[in-house]
Amino acid sequence: MLVVSAIITGLGLGSMYGLLALGFHVTYAVSATVNFAQGSSMMLGAVFAYSFAVRLGWPVPLAAAMALALCALYGILVEFIAVRPFARRGSNAWLMATVALGIVVDNAVLFTFGKEPRGFNMPWATGSFTVFGIGISPLQLAIPAAGIALAAALHFYSRRTRGGKAMLAVVQNPDAARLMGINVPRVISGAFALSTVFAGAAGILIAPLFNVHSDMGTVFGLKAFAVAILGGITSAWGVMIAGVVFGVVEALITALLGSTYTQILSFALVIVVLAAMPNGLFGRAEVKKV
Amino acid sequence: MKTAWTRRSFIATAVTLALGSALPALAADPIKIGLVTALSGQSARAGEAITRGLTIAIDELNASGGVLGRSFELVRRDDEATPAKGVIAARELVFKEKVAVLFGGLDTPVSLAIVPIMNQAKVPFMGPWAAGTPITKNGANPNYVFRVSAVDEIVDKAMLQYAQKNFGTKKPGLILINNPWGASNEKGLRAAMAAKQVTPAGIEKFESNDIDVVPQLTRLKQGGADTLFMAANVGPSAQVVKSLDRMGWQVPIVSHWGPAGGRFTELAGPNAKNVHFVQTYSFFGNQRPVGAKVMKMLMAKYPDIKGPDDVTPAVGVANAYDAMHLVALAIKNAGSTDGSKIREGFYKIGTYAGLIKTYDKPFSPAVHDAITENDYVWTQFIDNKILPVGMVK
Amino acid sequence: MKALPVAALAAGFAAAFVFTWVSNDYYVFVMATLALTAIVGIGLNVLLGLTGQVSFGHVGFYAIGAYTVAIFMVRLKLDFWIALPAAIALSALTGALLALPALRVRGPYLAMVTIAFGFVVEHSIVEWDEVTGGQNGIMGVPKPLLFGTPLTERGIALGAIALTALLVYAFWRVSRSSWGSAMRAVKDSEVAAESVGLNPIAIKALAFTLSAGCAGLAGALFSPLSGFVTPSSFAFLQSILFVLVVIVGGAGTVSGPLIGATIVVLLPEVLAGLAEYRLLFFGALMLVVLWVAPEGIVGEVLRWIRRRREPVLAAPTADAAMVGADSSTVRTALEVKGLTIAFGGVQAAVDVAFAAQPGAVTSLIGPNGAGKTTVLNMLGGFYRPDAGQVTLGARAIAGASAWRIARAGLARTYQTSQLFGSMSVLENLVIASPERAGTEPRAEQLLAFVGYRGDLHARAADLPHVDRRLVEIARALATRPTVLLLDEPAAGLSRDDKGALAQLMRRIADAGIAVVLVEHDMEIVMGISDHVVVLDAGTPIAAGTPQAVQQDPAVRSAYLGEGHGRPAVRRAGGATAGEALLEVGRLEAGYGAEPVLKGIDLRVTAGELVAVLGANGAGKSTLMRSLAGLHRPVRGSIALAGADLARLPAHRVVARGVVLVPEGRQVFPELSVLDNILLGAHLRRDLSDAEVEGMFERFPRLRERRDQRAGLLSGGEQQMLAIARGLMAKPSLLLLDEPSLGLAPTIINQLFSALDRLRSEAVTILLVDQMAGLALALADRAYVIESGRITAQGTAAEIAAQGALEKAYLAAG
Repeated sequence: MLVVSAIITGLGLGSMYGLLALGFHVTYAVSATVNFAQGSSMMLGAVFAYSFAVRLGWPVPLAAAMALALCALYGILVEFIAVRPFARRGSNAWLMATVALGIVVDNAVLFTFGKEPRGFNMPWATGSFTVFGIGISPLQLAIPAAGIALAAALHFYSRRTRGGKAMLAVVQNPDAARLMGINVPRVISGAFALSTVFAGAAGILIAPLFNVHSDMGTVFGLKAFAVAILGGITSAWGVMIAGVVFGVVEALITALLGSTYTQILSFALVIVVLAAMPNGLFGRAEVKKV
Repeated sequence: MKTAWTRRSFIATAVTLALGSALPALAADPIKIGLVTALSGQSARAGEAITRGLTIAIDELNASGGVLGRSFELVRRDDEATPAKGVIAARELVFKEKVAVLFGGLDTPVSLAIVPIMNQAKVPFMGPWAAGTPITKNGANPNYVFRVSAVDEIVDKAMLQYAQKNFGTKKPGLILINNPWGASNEKGLRAAMAAKQVTPAGIEKFESNDIDVVPQLTRLKQGGADTLFMAANVGPSAQVVKSLDRMGWQVPIVSHWGPAGGRFTELAGPNAKNVHFVQTYSFFGNQRPVGAKVMKMLMAKYPDIKGPDDVTPAVGVANAYDAMHLVALAIKNAGSTDGSKIREGFYKIGTYAGLIKTYDKPFSPAVHDAITENDYVWTQFIDNKILPVGMVK
Repeated sequence: MKALPVAALAAGFAAAFVFTWVSNDYYVFVMATLALTAIVGIGLNVLLGLTGQVSFGHVGFYAIGAYTVAIFMVRLKLDFWIALPAAIALSALTGALLALPALRVRGPYLAMVTIAFGFVVEHSIVEWDEVTGGQNGIMGVPKPLLFGTPLTERGIALGAIALTALLVYAFWRVSRSSWGSAMRAVKDSEVAAESVGLNPIAIKALAFTLSAGCAGLAGALFSPLSGFVTPSSFAFLQSILFVLVVIVGGAGTVSGPLIGATIVVLLPEVLAGLAEYRLLFFGALMLVVLWVAPEGIVGEVLRWIRRRREPVLAAPTADAAMVGADSSTVRTALEVKGLTIAFGGVQAAVDVAFAAQPGAVTSLIGPNGAGKTTVLNMLGGFYRPDAGQVTLGARAIAGASAWRIARAGLARTYQTSQLFGSMSVLENLVIASPERAGTEPRAEQLLAFVGYRGDLHARAADLPHVDRRLVEIARALATRPTVLLLDEPAAGLSRDDKGALAQLMRRIADAGIAVVLVEHDMEIVMGISDHVVVLDAGTPIAAGTPQAVQQDPAVRSAYLGEGHGRPAVRRAGGATAGEALLEVGRLEAGYGAEPVLKGIDLRVTAGELVAVLGANGAGKSTLMRSLAGLHRPVRGSIALAGADLARLPAHRVVARGVVLVPEGRQVFPELSVLDNILLGAHLRRDLSDAEVEGMFERFPRLRERRDQRAGLLSGGEQQMLAIARGLMAKPSLLLLDEPSLGLAPTIINQLFSALDRLRSEAVTILLVDQMAGLALALADRAYVIESGRITAQGTAAEIAAQGALEKAYLAAG
C-alpha cells in the first residue's frame, strides 16, 4: 500500500514536472535557450487563474483560458526582453537575465497579488475516492491525463499543423527553415509562448492540490529543469517520461527510506545518471563537426 | 488584498531614501526602531504582520506625544529569511541607522545570528515572533535580548500535555516542516516526550513545496501513530490536512501556531477544524477594550482589513503591538536611548494592560520572555475564525 | 598588465583598505562580504571565464569551506590555522571529484550537474545533524587567533581584502601562464586545443579544482567572520549570485569579479531602505546592467580599449631555420593503409592508402564530398577509423586521441580556422609550443616565416581571413610537427594571397616536414605537389604526379562531369534579352574585415537559366546566400523586378518569390518527404493536392519515398527533394547552389535532365555548380567568379570556348 500510494503520488507530481520540463524542451529545441525562471511562469498561470476565477468570479474554463493566454504573452515578453537581446549577440547572459526577470515577476506578484497563500478550491478537485484502500484525488489522475494530453497535443501540433511543422523545421535546420519563408524569430518567440503556456497549465492544474502564492513555482521550476536535462532536453517524450520517473522515484524514496533522504538521493541520482549518460536518458548526442 | 504599491508610495520611498541620508541630524530626532525580518518571499506576510503591529503601536505612541519628547520612527530591512542577509541588515541598523531597539523577525536562525551582534553592541533586541529557546537564553551577561512571543520548548511541552489530556495520546507521530523551525520543534518535542516516557511512532519531515505528504503520513500511520504533532507554516500545514483527507485517515492533530498564519480553512478545506493549535492571541470573540481599540486602528489604517479574519497572522500583529509598547515603557524608564539603560528600563516595567494580557513585571534579569505557558490558548478554525477549542461544536 | 590598470587596481585596494580601517562595524562587515564574494568570483572566473565551464553549484564549495572551519573550530576545538588549509583542501578535492562527472557533460547538462551538486551539499548539511547542527547550523564560531590575540571583524575584513588583492594578482599570473592559456584554448576551441597537444580533460579538472579551492577559502573566512554557519546561508540563489558576479563584471577579465562583486554586494545595501521592494529593484537593475553590458562591465571597457590600442607588428623577415628543420626534428613519413570509415551505413572512406614523405607536399584532391576532410579527421584523431593503419615513423597512431596524435608530431589546420579567438596571435602560438616557456622569440619568428605582418597582440577573433589562415599555420608549426595536415588553406583567399600561400607550403616542405594538403584550388595543388591522391566518393581513384593525375580520364570525369567537352545542347529560343528579373549591382558581402564579394554585377532575365561558375572559395555560395537573404548585411543592390531585396531577411525574400535550394540539400531529416515538400509551400494558402501530385510526377522517385524520413534518402533523392521543395513555393526565381555536390555521375545526369525540363518550362534559374561542363550545357548565359569578382561573362558557348574555365577548375590548359 505504501508503495502503491507513493507511485500514485509520484505519477501526479511527475507529470507536472514533465509538463514544466516540456516547456524547457520546446524553447531549447528551437533556440538552444531556456527561461531559467520557468517556475515564475507556472506561478503566473495559477495566480491569473485564481484571480479570474475566484476574485472576479469568472467560470473556471474561461478563467483558465484567459490565464493561459496571458501566460503566452508573458512568454513572448520573456523572449523579447531577457533572451533575444543576448542570444542575438551570441552571449549567454540570457541565463542570468531570465533569472533576474523571474525575481522581478515573483516580487511584482507578491505586491500585487498578495503575500498570503490562497486556496484555489474547485469542487471537482477537492474530493477524493478510495480504490483498494488508497485515497486518490481526481486531480491526481487529471494531472497525468492532462500532461499526456498536452504532450500528445504538442506531438500532433508539430506534426499535423502548418505552424507546428514550421517549428520542427526550425529545430532541424534554422537556415533551411528561413528559405521556406519561415519567420524564425517569430517561431522562437512562439516557442517561448508555448513553453510558458505549458508551465501555466501545470500551475493551474496543481493549484487546487496546492496553494497559490508568488513563491510557489521556484522549487518546481528547478526540479523541472533537472527533469528536462535528465530526459535529454532534445526529446519531447523523453522529457515527459523522465518527469514521471523522477516524480515516482522521489515519492518512493520518501516512502521507503524516509523524507530525510529524498532531496539528497534524488539530486545525487541526477549526477550519476548524467555521468553515465551525458545526453540524458533519451537525448541524442550532438554530432561534432570540423 | 490590495497593497500600497502605488506610484506615490514609490516616489515617497525614493524621496525618503534620497533625503534620509542628506538631512542633518536635528535635536528632536525621532527614536529609531529597527526591524529585521523577512519582507519578501514565502514569509512576506508574517513580516508584514509584524510591521503592522509595530506601526499601529508607534502611531498610537506618537499620537500621545511619544516618549522623552521624541517620536518613534520605524526603519525596516528585508532579511530574505537568510541569516547572512539578516546580520548585515542588523549591523546597518545598529551602526549606521543607530536604532535604539532592534526588532527581530520570524526566523529563529536569523535571530540567533543577530543575538551576538546585539549583545556586543549593547543595543536591546526584541523578538516578537521567532520562538527558538536559545534566542533569549543565550548565555550572555548582560543579556540584551527580550521576547514577547511563544517559546518552542514550552509550546512543545504544552502540545504533548494537551494531546495526552484530550486525546489520550500514547504514540504520537511527528510531521514537521523541513526548516529550522521544524528542527527546533523536533528537538523540543523529543525532549518533552522523553520526559514523559512517550515513544513516537515516527518523525517525518516535509518540504514547504511538497504537494503531497501522503508518503510521509502513510509511514506514520503504519508506525501506529494515534495523534499527529504538527509544526509547519500555514500553507504546508494545509497540505498535511489535505493529504490526510485523501488517505481517509481521521486522526487528531495537535499543532504549533502555524495554521494561524493565513486563511487555513480556505487552504485546507473543511477538515481544517480538526487541527487544534496554540495561540497567544485571537482577535475573534469578545475583545477586551485594548483588543477592540487595536482592531479599530487596524481597520482604519489598512483598507484591506475588514474584520478579524483579515488580520493574519494575528500572533505577529499582537506580539509586535505589545512588544512595541513594552519597548516604549522601557525607554521611558531609562530616560534615554542608551542601550544599557533601556535594558535596565525593561526590568523596571510595572503593570501594562496590553493586548495579549495585562503584563505585571514581565521582565527581570532571569526572565526575558514576557509570554508564559499560562498565556497560551488552544484554538481551532471554525469557518474563517480562530476560536478557542470547544466554543463551537 | 599595463601601468594604468595596475595603478587603478592598487588605488582601489588601498581605498578599500583605508575605508575598512576607519569605518563603522557595518561597513567593515560589508567590505568583508564584498571581499569574500570577490574571492569566490575570482575562482569561478578561472572556471567560467578562462575555461568556459559554467557552475551553478559553487555555493556547495563555499559551504564546504565554511562548515569545515566551523566543525574544526567548534566541534574539534582545533585552531583556525589548521582548519583553514583543511577547508581549502577539502573544497578543492571535492571540486576535483565533481570534475569527473562534470567533464562528461556540456552546456545545460553541465549546469544541471553543478546545480544538483549544490543541492546535495545543502541537504547533506541539513540532514547530517550531529556534525553540522542540522537546520540550526553551528553558532559561536570563534575568531582566529593571530599571535595569541583574536582577530576582530575588522582584522578579518582587512585580511580578506589583502587576500583578494593577492588572488587578483594570482589570477593574472595564472591567466598568463601556460596553464591559463591552455584553459582559454579549451574554452575557445576544444578541437583546436587537442590538435596542439592539449588534454582538455586534465585542464578542465584543474580549473574545477582551483575554482573550488577559492570558493572553499572564502567559505573558510566566512565562518569566523559571521560567527555562525547555517544551511540557509548556502542556498541555490547564492550560486546564481556568484555566477552573476563573474558575468556582470566580465568573464575572463582580471578585475571583472571585483567589479561584479562590488555591484552584487553593494547594490542590495544601497537599496536596503526599500525594505520589501529591494529584491524587485535588484532584479530589475540586474536586467538593465545585463542589457547595457552583456560582456560584463570590464569586458565592455576592454573591448573599447582594444579598438584604440597601438598595434605591435610582426617582423617582416624570418629565419627559415626556426621552422623545424633543426637537429631535433626527426624526418618521418606518414603512412596510411586501408583507412576505412562509415557513418550510419554510408561509406565515407574506403581503403584509403598513401604515404606522405618528409620534405614533400602530398595533396589529397577530389570533388566536394569525396571524403577528403574525413580522411584528415581520421589522421588527426578526431574520428576513429573503422579499419586501417596510420603510422608516423614507427608509431601506430590510428585511433589514438587527438591530443596524443598532436604530441606525436602531427599538426593540422582546419577548413574553418579554429584559432583561439579570445587569445592574442602570439598567445595562440605560445600555447601550441611544446616547451611553453620562453618560446615567444620563436613564435615571432614563425609568424614572420608564414608571412604574417599584422599585430602580434591582436585578438585572433578579430583577424581578417587571410591572417587567420597564416596564424593557424604558424600555430601548427609551433608544435614542432613532423607532419602538417592542411585542410583547404587557400579557400577564400585572393589570387595574390594564394600565390604567397603556395610558396609558403613549399617552403614548409623544404624545411623537412611532410605536408599533406587538401585543396580545391588546382593551380596550387598542381603547382606545388610532389604527389597527388584523388578520392571520389570515399575511394581513391588515382595517385601519382600532378601531370599523371591531370591526364587521368577517371579524374577528369569525376571533376568535370560527363558533359564536359560535349557540345552544348542548345535549346531553341532562350529569352536572353528583355526585361531583367533580377538585377544585382555592386554587391559586396563578407564575414570579417575582408569582403568575400567585391562588387558583383549580375543580371537574370525572366525565363533564363544563368550559371555562375568558379572555383571553390571564389564566393559563389556567399553570392547565393546574399541573394536569398541568409547573409546580411550586404552592400550594393539586389533588385527583383525593380523591388529592393538587399535589406530583407530570408523569409521575406522568399515571400517575394526568390527561393534558394541550398548547398548540401539541407532537407529536414526527421520529417517525411511529403512534409518537406509541403514546407516548401509554407507561405502559400492556395496549395492544391494536384500540385503535390504534379511534383511527384516530376520526381517519381519521391513518390515511392513519400512517407519516409527525408534523412534516410540517398544523396540524389535528397537533392531532388530539395528542388521539389523549392519549386513548391512557385518561385519567380529559383537559386540552385551546387546541386550536383557529392552525387554519383549517373545521378548527376538524372538531375541535370530534371533541370533541363524545368528550363523548358520557362522557370527562371540561377545555377551555381562546380560541374562546369554540365552547367554550361544547360545554361543560356554564364558568369565566372574568381576571388569575389566577375572575371568573365557571356553566353554559355562563349564561356565554354574561352578555355579559361578548365584552368580555373583543374589548372590544366
